[in-house]
Amino acid sequence: MIISKKIDRKKLLETIKDYNSFFLVGCSECASLCGTGGEPELEELKKELEAAGKKVTGTFRAKTGCQVLGTKVELKPFKDELADTQVVIVMSCGAGTQAMVEAFPDKPVYPSNDSLFLGNMTRFQMFDERCSLCGECILEQTGGICPVTNCPKGLLNGPCGGTSNGNCEVSPDIRCAWVRIYDRLEKINRLDDMKKVIKAKDWSKSQSPQVLSARPKKEGKKTK
Amino acid sequence: MTFKENLESGKFMVTAEVGPPKGTDIKEMLHHIEVLKGKIDAANVTDNQSAVMRISSLAVCQIVKENGLEPILQMTCRDRNRIGLQADLLGASVLGIESVLCMTGDHVSAGDHKAAKPVYDIESVQLLQVVDGMNNGKDMSGNDLQGSTNFFQGAVVTPEANPLQPQLIKFGKKVEAGARFFQTQAIYDIDKFKTFMEHARQYSTKVLAGIVVLKSAGMAKFLNNFVPGITVPDELIEELKAAGKEKALETGLNIAARHVKQLHDEKICDGVHIMAIGMEDKVPTIMERAGLL
Repeated sequence: MIISKKIDRKKLLETIKDYNSFFLVGCSECASLCGTGGEPELEELKKELEAAGKKVTGTFRAKTGCQVLGTKVELKPFKDELADTQVVIVMSCGAGTQAMVEAFPDKPVYPSNDSLFLGNMTRFQMFDERCSLCGECILEQTGGICPVTNCPKGLLNGPCGGTSNGNCEVSPDIRCAWVRIYDRLEKINRLDDMKKVIKAKDWSKSQSPQVLSARPKKEGKKTK
Repeated sequence: MTFKENLESGKFMVTAEVGPPKGTDIKEMLHHIEVLKGKIDAANVTDNQSAVMRISSLAVCQIVKENGLEPILQMTCRDRNRIGLQADLLGASVLGIESVLCMTGDHVSAGDHKAAKPVYDIESVQLLQVVDGMNNGKDMSGNDLQGSTNFFQGAVVTPEANPLQPQLIKFGKKVEAGARFFQTQAIYDIDKFKTFMEHARQYSTKVLAGIVVLKSAGMAKFLNNFVPGITVPDELIEELKAAGKEKALETGLNIAARHVKQLHDEKICDGVHIMAIGMEDKVPTIMERAGLL
């Protein structure tokens, strides 16, 4: 999921200082799990804005905030609240915010969160980055552990000289990705995989902005 | 004879470092070059060492060369993408720089520009492949070069990495990718290093053992606690302690000389790489005490 974190409230209040009325949009997916855009957070921000003397015309939690058409349909019952508001604040990720920019071409739309990474929830509201969306998966060569993401240098052919007791030189809190890969490959009896040189990545595969149509070819636009 | 010719002919090589300064005052660096000239076989020029911004390695290589010492161009992948790296390699080639040491490079978090975007478009093993390709007339995209390079390319290895096995696998990959010599991280335990060399000798590549002078017992403890891949044995720390503060540096130089001598006399490896870290003028002292001058 997309891991997000609340923007410093002072910064948010500074951003919106010229406006008085707000409609808040949360999201039931990643942002709810991150504690940045679920019902409790919608309620919390509503109270904070009201405490700052602002008016909140309504709150709404999208089913999937990055699903543009579906969210637009879900917003239909909020016609009056939306007509009353000067600004829409989106409490999900950057994709969710931009979905609302599309839905409200004539209103300022501001994010309440910073979007951080694509990660896994390891425990309640604890997240680890696992995938860098590099566009060219190499997990089949690395025992299923991603060095592009888990190694701060993104090394593709083994550990650097900075491994210390199996930990990373960048932070002792990080286990060396290549030590993890080695241990895993040893366990699954695939150590020979590590002996093959992985060639330089084709970074054009992750060049932004990307588009994809997963529709059957006759209907779809050109895919990459 | 060049570093490459000497090393390949089986002569025991001594290399040291020239560290580019941060700023345009190069007086001290020129002094270091003068001290090392005629004594060592080649000088590594570090590339924004420890991710601290300094004069570029390529520019200083040219200065080293003009001053009569053979440079080894250290190239890291931290600050340049594949276009920048290849452009600098071509530049080095036309300047007559023959030896290049391919490394990934310390992470920016270790340096003095922590907000920098680390590049790592490619890494050490792949950079070795790039150099090999350019030596064969091709750039990284397979385009023909108008005139190929003729580099003698090397790499680094940490013989006391913990754990060691993944590091040894990478060593093998570096040889496969074209590394013709290695300069190692600092080693202090010659018996352990012999075990590493037994592994390294399976490959057709040269190895220069890394020597870092211990200036005090405190420095030795610092290396043990904070520098990954370096282990100073307790008996050396005791030796430095016993020498007392005033004689600690002398003792450190003697330890370095003793190690160099043993590595040379017992033909354990193909040379030494002395990293003096600001004490370049002591390198000839170490060589004299090791019987190499």
